[in-house]
Amino acid sequence: MKLLITVLLSLVLLSIESVVVKYLGLTVSRIDVTVAIVAFLGLRVSLVEGALSSFCVGYLVDLMSGQPTGLYTFLSVFTFLICRLAGTLVDIRSGLSFALFAAAADLGHAVLSVFFLWLTSSQAAVASLLSGLLLQLILTAAAALCLFPLLKRIHAPRVPVEVGLLR
Amino acid sequence: MVAVLLLYPFGSFMASGRKGRQPNWLDRLVLAISSPLQRGLTVAVDGVAGAWREYVALRGVRDENSTLKAENQQLRGEVNRLEEARAENERLRRMLGYTQSTATSELPARVVGVNPAAAPLSLRIDRGETNGVRPGMPVVTPDGVVGYVHRVSGGYSDVVLITDPNSKLAVKAQRSRARATASGGGGNQLLHLENALRTEDLEEGDLIITSGTDGIYPSGLVVGRVTAIQRKSYGMFQAAEIIPAVDIARLEEVLVLVAPSAVAGGVR
Repeated sequence: MKLLITVLLSLVLLSIESVVVKYLGLTVSRIDVTVAIVAFLGLRVSLVEGALSSFCVGYLVDLMSGQPTGLYTFLSVFTFLICRLAGTLVDIRSGLSFALFAAAADLGHAVLSVFFLWLTSSQAAVASLLSGLLLQLILTAAAALCLFPLLKRIHAPRVPVEVGLLR
Repeated sequence: MVAVLLLYPFGSFMASGRKGRQPNWLDRLVLAISSPLQRGLTVAVDGVAGAWREYVALRGVRDENSTLKAENQQLRGEVNRLEEARAENERLRRMLGYTQSTATSELPARVVGVNPAAAPLSLRIDRGETNGVRPGMPVVTPDGVVGYVHRVSGGYSDVVLITDPNSKLAVKAQRSRARATASGGGGNQLLHLENALRTEDLEEGDLIITSGTDGIYPSGLVVGRVTAIQRKSYGMFQAAEIIPAVDIARLEEVLVLVAPSAVAGGVR
């Protein structure tokens, strides 16, 4: 159920983002909302569930890109695994620290995507892809800050209701 | 299982490279859900922005009206002159035995969103295979070239922009007919003019149009204007930048140049 909600949330956010980016005219800079979601999954969700959710989220990005190659699906799962590893080293509790964590994850995600695009296309304009990176990190961090309470709510641990004799 | 989730897309990417694949049934299903959502959001934002613009526009509408009336008079005169020129052109064509070619028709489409990933630089329009749109069809505005249809699905299509680094167009200068290739410059919104021989006559401000030899864009579509010419003292070619005629970042409506055969066989 959480997986489905995460995927639906990603779909809605990606659709909103594609319209927002169109109106703001940000042709290079993007708001990597999905990376923020994947970073959260890396911190709070189990390995298999998180990997599966990240796979689905990455697939959506691939599909929305208009040229599904599998790159963003791979990067999404990879970012999840790295975030999970990093999550064992840092303690993320507040929205601000999560925003910084998501920005760091986005930096890794962006650099890797540019690297792989450069690897498969001699024409890939690395400089132009990286030129909007700072703005992208700031926007992603801001999006992560806004999303943090919602993601926490979706992935809140289920507390079992104990029905005792006095209830 | 995690290894499969990681390695399957990686293998798929390494196998297909940047070409990608054609949409399967699952892709179509997800697109069928997400594209109307994008369209709905676009319409909603357009509505709010339009209402605001109209409110603001009402304030200076009288002055604008008188200016437009004067402009209208001037344009009527221009239309008459052009009509004369067209009639003369037609007579001369008939005399020379040329036939008027109407190879394409224009299908208006609305931009419903842009690609949320950084590459490729593409956008989504609300016309697809149900409207006769097919991959490879050119997309333009009255100002000039926008890009070409990369993928179609149901009632929606993805259009790769001419500014995408992998996009290339065969072009020529309108004034000197110098031939070259225009390739996308990525995010800086410029195009690179390549493969123009150093001996070719190119000047700052020259209008660049499509030459029609790349198999995608018909001849004569406006691409942009030449700027920043680099003519070195060695080498075969000169380089330059092209400022696109179309403001790619703020597109709202576009025209798909549809082949008549596709329309006849494609519209259901």
